[in-house]
Amino acid sequence: MRRQHSTEVGSVLVWTVVVIAILSLIATETLRLVTAKYLNALQTSTWQEALLAAESGIDLAIVELRKSLYPQPNQAWQGWDNPPGNEITSYELTTVPNAGLNGTPMTIEASVDAPSQLIDPTNSWQYYRIRTVGTIPITGPARASDNPQDTKLRRLSLRFERFTNGLLVAHPLATDANGNPIAQISRRIEAIVRPVSSFDQAIMSVGVVDLTNQNIVVDSYDSSDPTKSTNGLYDPTKRQENGDIATDGQLIEAGNARIFGDVATNAGTVSGAANITGVERTDFYQEPIPIGAPSWSATNSSVTSVTGTTTITADATQHSAASRYVLTGISLSGSKTLTIAGNPNGTQTYVEIYVTGDISVSGTGQIVIQPGVTATIYFAGNVDITGNGVLNSNNQPGDFMLYGIQPPTTSSEHVSFGGNSQITASIYAPGHDVTVNGSGTNGHVYGSIVGKTVTMTGVSNLHYDERLGSTGVINNYKIVSWFEDNR
Amino acid sequence: MVSVFDHGPLPKAQGGFAISELIVSVSIFCSISLGLLMGFTSLERNYAATSDFSINHADEMRISDYMALDLRRAISVQAATNDVTINIPAYYDQTGAPQTPTLDGQGGVFYGARGSSVRVHYYLMAGTIYRQQDNAPAQALAVNVQDFIFDMTDAGKVVTTRITFNPTFNSGGASAAATTATAFYNTTLLRNSRTDIQSSVY
Repeated sequence: MRRQHSTEVGSVLVWTVVVIAILSLIATETLRLVTAKYLNALQTSTWQEALLAAESGIDLAIVELRKSLYPQPNQAWQGWDNPPGNEITSYELTTVPNAGLNGTPMTIEASVDAPSQLIDPTNSWQYYRIRTVGTIPITGPARASDNPQDTKLRRLSLRFERFTNGLLVAHPLATDANGNPIAQISRRIEAIVRPVSSFDQAIMSVGVVDLTNQNIVVDSYDSSDPTKSTNGLYDPTKRQENGDIATDGQLIEAGNARIFGDVATNAGTVSGAANITGVERTDFYQEPIPIGAPSWSATNSSVTSVTGTTTITADATQHSAASRYVLTGISLSGSKTLTIAGNPNGTQTYVEIYVTGDISVSGTGQIVIQPGVTATIYFAGNVDITGNGVLNSNNQPGDFMLYGIQPPTTSSEHVSFGGNSQITASIYAPGHDVTVNGSGTNGHVYGSIVGKTVTMTGVSNLHYDERLGSTGVINNYKIVSWFEDNR
Repeated sequence: MVSVFDHGPLPKAQGGFAISELIVSVSIFCSISLGLLMGFTSLERNYAATSDFSINHADEMRISDYMALDLRRAISVQAATNDVTINIPAYYDQTGAPQTPTLDGQGGVFYGARGSSVRVHYYLMAGTIYRQQDNAPAQALAVNVQDFIFDMTDAGKVVTTRITFNPTFNSGGASAAATTATAFYNTTLLRNSRTDIQSSVY
């Protein structure tokens, strides 16, 4: 029997095939589009993560540089290939497992060096160059983007690593089980860091800063700049606005202070600040570097303790044995005087004194620093200076620096400094409670103060000398230049 | 007499369509065809708009990443709509190799000659967004982007870039809301001190 309608059945099949073909084409094109988009998104996120890795390398290097500032043993540069010397040439390959996208490994390569061009001739401070490469494997297909501009921006290392020009050690691409290179993205950053002085602020405290209720004025000047000072001295007509105050703690009792500068706490509050010209921040954190006891190989033993009128002679050569003294203590009362003598003609001389005990000046007792002398005193005990206090003939806070050696955490030590209507000194004692006693309405302090806590009593004016920011002990490192090398 | 053409009545199965049947069938065919045509046209337009959106979004991301790359290392920024100039340190020498910086005596450093920098210029011209470094040939970052608008909000240490385009889903043109919805933002922290305004590092 003949079948009828066979042509109708064929027509349905044809139409079905045509529709399926069209839908397949659409699905294929959509898949292609989505895949390209997915690939682009994946490579972009991997590229961004590589930057984070590279910047982490800079942080790692700064951590090591900061560690090197701590008293020995500080474990700085442990695990780095070459310990730092005069020329730090170190690099390290660190793999942080499961830290990248989808648990992929992140590689950080860092190099730190100290080019001679980056030594500040004014204070011999070495700036460091940090170069890092952050690398993340591409978890998706090792394929360049459809758009050549994407490829030019997010340079992928599909077969070879491009950073192989000798700045860092070339690291060939890892291979999979079949010996094929595993594609990756690398980004390189160069940062220059400069040392930061212990005296980078007018006042810095680990804990509370209490300015009491003296309506204190905090401002700044620069004794090395004639436009910001007169004859190297503070001039109210050339007032600057860098009298910054900061605390690692949470409270600054400003006592109606007028602050020509910034104020910063560690998620804390500032109370009673009548006027702050700068910004008020709550994101400050800086752990002050503790001072260790000096370990001088040779010293001047002509004086070993001071209990009566004494003269200590400074030397023209800084850090020389002749300029270094170790004293068991300084105790001046009555009319006793400690004279730190320089050259009679007032030329530059230096003295460094390590006091293993306490420093006490009372009554009409006095410490006199003669013209031309730059005195640095390290003390392990307490400091109580009253009476006639300290006569700093140069009137430069950078010429009288007091460093408190970090006491054990179980002991509580203090610095109580006063005695004159004018105090010209720089005090760095992050392990001591520091109190500066002025003389009420006319109490001027010139310099910078760092303490565990800082209390100002009877001080009406604090003038921070900006020149201190390039002197003293290095307390930190700060990035001054940042550049991504995207060749 | 019997005509040679007279074969008697035709069988029912071999009868022709009546005019009414023809009209109905043609109408149905036209309706289905029209529906299919409209469907495929709509599908094609939707696909084109989706592709366009996807490509434009990728363009936005690329332009934004380029700008962020330069902003992170910028030492000065001059921003206007569809015209942004960023100056970056002269890190490379004439041969393209990195240089060792020099101290500026004020706590900073500079690359190359004192006061020198590399000018990076982003601009939209004739439907193309270009990136040009100094006097080097301009590099086309995205083409067929005449509807793109990029601008910057300069907050000193932080600069926010915003890029929009007009999506083509609606044949009547994109509404303001639809254009706003395409905005691609990127907020970048400038790592270096700026020379054009007072700013600190980090």
